[in-house]
Order: sequence, then C-alpha cells, then structure tokens
Amino acid sequence: MKKINLLMALILFGSTVASAGTIEMKVNGLVCSFCAQGIEKTLRKNPATSDVLVSLENKVVAVSTKDGTDISDAELKKALTNAGYDVKEIQRTTHSMEVLRSQFEATK
Amino acid sequence: MSSYRLRVAAAAALFISCAFGAHAKPIAFANGTTVMGEYGAGSMTEVQAFYAPMYRYSIGAGHLILNGPDADDSADITYARFNYLPKRWNLESAQANVFVWGSLGGAHVARANDNEFAWNVGGQLDYETRRLYASLRTDLHESQAFSHRIDTLQLGVAPYAHDYNTLALWFVIQARQYTGGLYDGTEWAALLRLFKGNTWIEAGATQDGHLQSMLMFNF
Repeated sequence: MKKINLLMALILFGSTVASAGTIEMKVNGLVCSFCAQGIEKTLRKNPATSDVLVSLENKVVAVSTKDGTDISDAELKKALTNAGYDVKEIQRTTHSMEVLRSQFEATK
Repeated sequence: MSSYRLRVAAAAALFISCAFGAHAKPIAFANGTTVMGEYGAGSMTEVQAFYAPMYRYSIGAGHLILNGPDADDSADITYARFNYLPKRWNLESAQANVFVWGSLGGAHVARANDNEFAWNVGGQLDYETRRLYASLRTDLHESQAFSHRIDTLQLGVAPYAHDYNTLALWFVIQARQYTGGLYDGTEWAALLRLFKGNTWIEAGATQDGHLQSMLMFNF
C-alpha cells in the first residue's frame, strides 16, 4: 500500500513539475514602462523563466516557466520587491502566455 | 517672476505632487545603468552616468557646465555622486518617490581661472500616474568661488495611457530658477517627452526661444 501511495505521489509531483505554468502577479506602482524594465530584466535572469509579460493597464506581471521548472511565490515576491515594486497577489493559472497576451491586447 | 510667486508655484507643485505624478529618476532599477545628458537652454549642460546595484541607490559620475550671462560666470564641475531612494510609495495606480543625492568633485571657475573643490546636495520629490505627473527637484552646487542652486518644477500630462513597450508621449511644462547670477527670474519651458524601451528623449523651448533637451538611456 505504501508503495502505491509513493507511486501516486511521484506521478502527481511529476505531472505538476512537467506542466509549464503561467504565473500572474498583481503589482502596485506599475505606472511607467521605462522603469518597469527592471522587472523584466530581473525575471528573465531566472533560469526557469521562459517568457515575461508586463501590462501597465492591467497592473499585472506574468511569467511563464520552462517545462519541468517552477518559481516559488517567495522567489517571485523577492524579485519584484528587489526591483522596487509591491506584489499584491500571485495567481497560478492554466492560461498560456499567448492567451494572456491576447486578453491584455483586448483591454487596450 | 518674483520669489514670492515662485514659492507659491513650488507650494502648488508640492500639493499637486500629493495628487498627481513625476519622472526622470537618478535610479532606474536594480542592476541597471542610466546614462543621461541635458542641455538647459545655454544656462546649464550636464551629462551623468549611474549604476544601481539595488533599486535603493546608485553610484556614478557627472559633468556639469554652468554658464552665466558673462563668460566669467561659468563653472565646469566634475563630480562623483551617490543617489539614494529613502522612500517609495507604490500605490495601485501611482508611484511616488523621494530621492536624495550628494556629490564631491572639482570645479574649474572661469572668473578665478582656478580649480576648486566642489560639492553638491540635492533632492527630488515625484509622483506619477500613467496620465499625469509632477516633480520638484533641487540641486545645490557649492565651492569657495560659487554657490548655485537650481530648482526645477515639472508638470506633465499624457494624452493617452501608454503601456509596456508602447511609445509614451508627454506634454511637459517646466519652471526652473537659478541662484548665483546664472539667470534672472524663472525660466519657463514647454517640452515634448517621448520614451519607449530603454530610450527617453525630450526637447522643447524656453520662453526666450532657447533649446531645452534631455536624452536618457537605461540598460
């Protein structure tokens, strides 16, 4: 029984890690693209990052991760705080970055 | 403009700063380098380069040329500067900052035809949204031979709210006052500001018809 539980846990863990996710962060102080460059620069340095999307209109910074990788909430919060911004909310979604990009385009 | 009216304008700017917003910052972002140059209608020309290890501070150097009405009134100041951000307010749709800085360097003073030790302190209060901004900046340059303070107030409005990687367009009104005989009264300028990606450019004219411009890069 223990072996089955362990196998199930491994399968679940494996599926979580293997699926690349999109992380959306509501950020306060996001008013100037010239200054928000620092956020993109910082997040792109993370080896798990595959893409970064910043929307001033929606006050959102989104990060997609590479297959099999993840970035913890604490790590994201630290990155944004060190860039000079305040993270209000972190949400992990199943939306692809393309869908998110289209949604943001539609709100312009 | 009388000093009383300027004080009223400065007080109004501070008030507006609590409700609207501002821009050009001596610290762009952590691990970022900022290079900027400003031509101030013939009265001042300045180039600066800073590196910010953290978003709270940056270190760098600059060169400032101050020109008075007479050639003898000019001073060339080269300095090393430390910029610090003691306070930032990140609001839902706005950001406000208090910056302070200090520098040490040398100045060549035309009148004395001599080199002097020079120092500087300054500060900036700004507040910005995506459509409105205000900033109030003061810069004091001192040496044995001169004492110059440059106070600059900027108020701007954007005709549309720009987004990340789209062109930002701002219409800016600037009021600047120099002490130490560099310019009598308040110098007013109307500016057009554009920025996109890592490039910022602004240009306009003063009430005397002189060019006022600024160029800045962040990378």
